[in-house]
Amino acid sequence: MQFGPRVLVMFVAAVLLLKAAPGRSFGGAGYAQTTSGQSLAIIVNQSNPVENLSFTELRRIFLGERSHWPNGRRITLVIMPPGEPERDAILREVCRMNEKDYNNHFLHGLFTGEVFASPKTLSTPVGVRKFVFNVPGAIGYVRTADVDDSVKVLRIDGLLPSDKDYKVQMQARPAK
Amino acid sequence: MKSCIVPPNRATLNVTSLMLKVLPILLGILLSARVARAQQTADPADQDKQTIRVLLQRVEQLEARVTQLEAARQGVPAPAPTQVSQQATTPSEAETEAQAEQPSEPERMDLSKTLLRMRGFGDITLHGDNNKGDTTSFSLGQLNLFVTSDVSEKFKFLTEIVFEAGSDNAVGVDVERMLLQYSPNDYFNLAVGRYHTAIGYYNTAYHHSTWFQTTTGRPFLFDFEDKGGPLPVHNVGVSASGLIPSGRLGLHYVAEVGNGRASRSPASEPVQNLVDENNHKAFNLAFFARPESVRGLQAGFSVYRDVLAPANSPRIGETILAAHAVLVRPKFEWLNEALVIRHAPFGLSHAFETPGFYTQLSKQFGSYRPYFRYQYMNESDAEPVFPNIGLRHGPSVGLRYDASESVAVKLQYDYTQLRRQEAIHGLALQVGFTF
Repeated sequence: MQFGPRVLVMFVAAVLLLKAAPGRSFGGAGYAQTTSGQSLAIIVNQSNPVENLSFTELRRIFLGERSHWPNGRRITLVIMPPGEPERDAILREVCRMNEKDYNNHFLHGLFTGEVFASPKTLSTPVGVRKFVFNVPGAIGYVRTADVDDSVKVLRIDGLLPSDKDYKVQMQARPAK
Repeated sequence: MKSCIVPPNRATLNVTSLMLKVLPILLGILLSARVARAQQTADPADQDKQTIRVLLQRVEQLEARVTQLEAARQGVPAPAPTQVSQQATTPSEAETEAQAEQPSEPERMDLSKTLLRMRGFGDITLHGDNNKGDTTSFSLGQLNLFVTSDVSEKFKFLTEIVFEAGSDNAVGVDVERMLLQYSPNDYFNLAVGRYHTAIGYYNTAYHHSTWFQTTTGRPFLFDFEDKGGPLPVHNVGVSASGLIPSGRLGLHYVAEVGNGRASRSPASEPVQNLVDENNHKAFNLAFFARPESVRGLQAGFSVYRDVLAPANSPRIGETILAAHAVLVRPKFEWLNEALVIRHAPFGLSHAFETPGFYTQLSKQFGSYRPYFRYQYMNESDAEPVFPNIGLRHGPSVGLRYDASESVAVKLQYDYTQLRRQEAIHGLALQVGFTF
């Protein structure tokens, strides 16, 4: 097998070259610790009949595994761009993924056809709120301080962001 | 005098409107005069051309002035887009702002925009083995253009267009998937076109992208038809899928009806894209569960049934039973699949059964993911449909290195034992990427 050592040497060389090349880290961005102690409110359009979601349902929606509301309207997921503390919190608390895994998950879901539409990315809480106000099937997240009457705040497992034991927090909960 | 009571702006407007009406008439007279003169004499028309150009410029200036005056008279410089258009198309705040800056114009189709989204996948491999007749080669893998389009809220289009070199080194193009999907809710989705048959797990999880796969290639059970694979990997027809209300069990179903695989001649294109060689249709029914309690677990089974009609031999009933249990998490993967392909020639009491399975295990350590796969397939030498596959089994070990979010380098060693032949040692170095 004369080709064996050559292929092996080329693999090692390729790995070393690629490792030496400057580039940004992509492994753990999603687990960056946030500083705010606020809760994140899950917001939907005022016309959406849903009032409460279980945490599992919320997770499935944010992973694109549910594409329709019970009334048949398509779910439009609104997320904030990578690096925003709100997004980091959602990935950590709800999706339990880092940035790279989340992107791969959606890319794979779109590729298999199981995810019907990719999320919309909006850069500011005001933008998220306006989008949710305008789009009947939209769901997004903002800090509780950014909520106003134009959108509806969902209960998660029966709890509002102001309630004790509400699960979607900006800051990582201490491990039990 | 009547003109005295008209406000100055309005007077200007009337004059310009009048000029706008008169100018085309003047232009027409000039043009007809030019034509008449040209008929009578052979004089060059340079002077007329210059005059027309000047007049056209003047018309444009006046049109611009009229628009300006009309806007000033209404006191609204540029009406903002309607709420409805914002609702329909607001993907970002930036775009909304951009829309607000656009002047008000009648709504019309914008041909400069497209609904298509495209993603690409590709790979290049250096591989070699000790099989007689094989040579160590650099190989272009499949260049896969994955295109989707949100046709409407409930309709979506999806296609995989693959450019691939054959054994003759010529590059061909295949439409590997082409589906129009209708999705009214989570419990019923309908797709028509060419799809990957939902036999087992691997076939519908990775399609034609090696970048998504941990290993350098598919298990030989799931090899594509044109690579000698035993399964009807592709099908043309209708596929329905969705959730089954089952609470925490997370049950799903897939039901498919299609043309099935061509069987009249080994030289036929295996996927019946345009014409089915018989009226019988292939059916596939699959169920799988994704229980909430174990994240990443999927377990299920499928039953596929078709009737093959080889030339100069009796028809053959084809039944494929498959079962799988996979655990796929971002850092860990354990795939297990087993299936039996049963070919029963009509009129014979004997049926030929081909069992096969594979197990694949991998774990991510930073950017590195070592993996192991063992696969097995045992086809009888007398098998009427695939007499050349025979017995194949053996392990593969490899290492995947994710050089970036979009590029993976893989090194894989394969050891494959064959019936009555020397075992094959193979080594492959592959770079797979998405773009």
